[in-house]
Amino acid sequence: MLLVLSEEHKEHLGFLTQVDSAVVGEFGRIAVEFLRKGTNPKIYEGAARKLNVSSDVIQHGVEGLTYLLTEGSKLMISEIDFQDSVLVLGFSEELNKLLLQLYLDNRKEIRNILGELAPKLPSYHSLEWRLDVQLASRSLRQQIKPAVTIKLHLDQNGDQTTKILQTDPATLLHLIQQLEQALGEMKTNHCRRIVRNIK
Amino acid sequence: MRFRFCGNLDCPDWVLAEISTLAKISSVKLKLICGQVLKDLQGEGIDYEKILKLTSDARFESGDVKATIAVLSFILSSAAKHSVDSDSLSSELQQLGLPKEHATGLCRSYEEKQSPLQDSLRTHSLRLNHLDSVSWRVDQTLSSSELQQVNEPLVHLKFTVRDGDRGVMEPFAMSMSAEKFRVLLAELRQAHAMMKTLS
Repeated sequence: MLLVLSEEHKEHLGFLTQVDSAVVGEFGRIAVEFLRKGTNPKIYEGAARKLNVSSDVIQHGVEGLTYLLTEGSKLMISEIDFQDSVLVLGFSEELNKLLLQLYLDNRKEIRNILGELAPKLPSYHSLEWRLDVQLASRSLRQQIKPAVTIKLHLDQNGDQTTKILQTDPATLLHLIQQLEQALGEMKTNHCRRIVRNIK
Repeated sequence: MRFRFCGNLDCPDWVLAEISTLAKISSVKLKLICGQVLKDLQGEGIDYEKILKLTSDARFESGDVKATIAVLSFILSSAAKHSVDSDSLSSELQQLGLPKEHATGLCRSYEEKQSPLQDSLRTHSLRLNHLDSVSWRVDQTLSSSELQQVNEPLVHLKFTVRDGDRGVMEPFAMSMSAEKFRVLLAELRQAHAMMKTLS
């Protein structure tokens, strides 16, 4: 599967032909660093001064490289496809090899970073519970009413929330039964067939 | 196999696996590490450096040290949770494969600290919020915009409630007339009498 690059993107990457391969290597390193930790515009200024071009051109060059790497990693394109996609830019043989090496070295890490960007629902963190018996209330004395109070700790992208629930033991048993049935679904033939095919 | 210290359930697999790790340390050092773990369970903090020194003879990697602390925390807190006496705990640990001297050393540390440990576990049980303090004020209303001569007593109550989750103090204030206050007091006295019959 080939990467289709827009005209604007090709123009931004065209800057890379005007500098030598050591600088392109440096840009590649900066691009991966930005993917890991976020952009730092001051680096553009420094590079612009050293290479005697405007910082916009540097920014476009680095961003073009970043986009090339993320699109390639996202679609998990093979070496040959990546080389063919880059060929269309008309770079030198050396530059093509450099870009390919950059892609192959960082592909796995970029895929891990991209994987973390997917939206997540709150997930289970921990559970506290308490069993009480209500013996009397203002309206009625001599009761026996057991109740289970549950504090569910949830975690969503580092934010912790809690939900407080209360139930009587019969409902709790029903809840446990339903959850065990849900777990039991994994052992049916249907699920086993799917899991075998994914592996 | 059902174990009392696991709440009459099977012993978790990871605990079984780490029993052999525990056997690698000498029984004297194990007793000292137990002391540290007991301090941690009571909320007094853990001296990780000391534990590292104690396990250095057995040439533990960092994973082994963490596993030791985890399995000791589980055994001690679970035994306290289910109020297992130290002799039963010793025999059950020996059934799991822990050597006799190690089991006796561990159970002796457990026995010394069983009550304070259970007390601290009791205070950490689920509570939604705590009443921190009460303050009150009695006023006499002389007159108001509605009636010139009022002459009624009024009581202001302020409850400071500590939120269970965040430990934040929240004030909760209300004011009430003498009759309402009498009713409140009567009901609370009945509830108090009921609590006294239970404790």
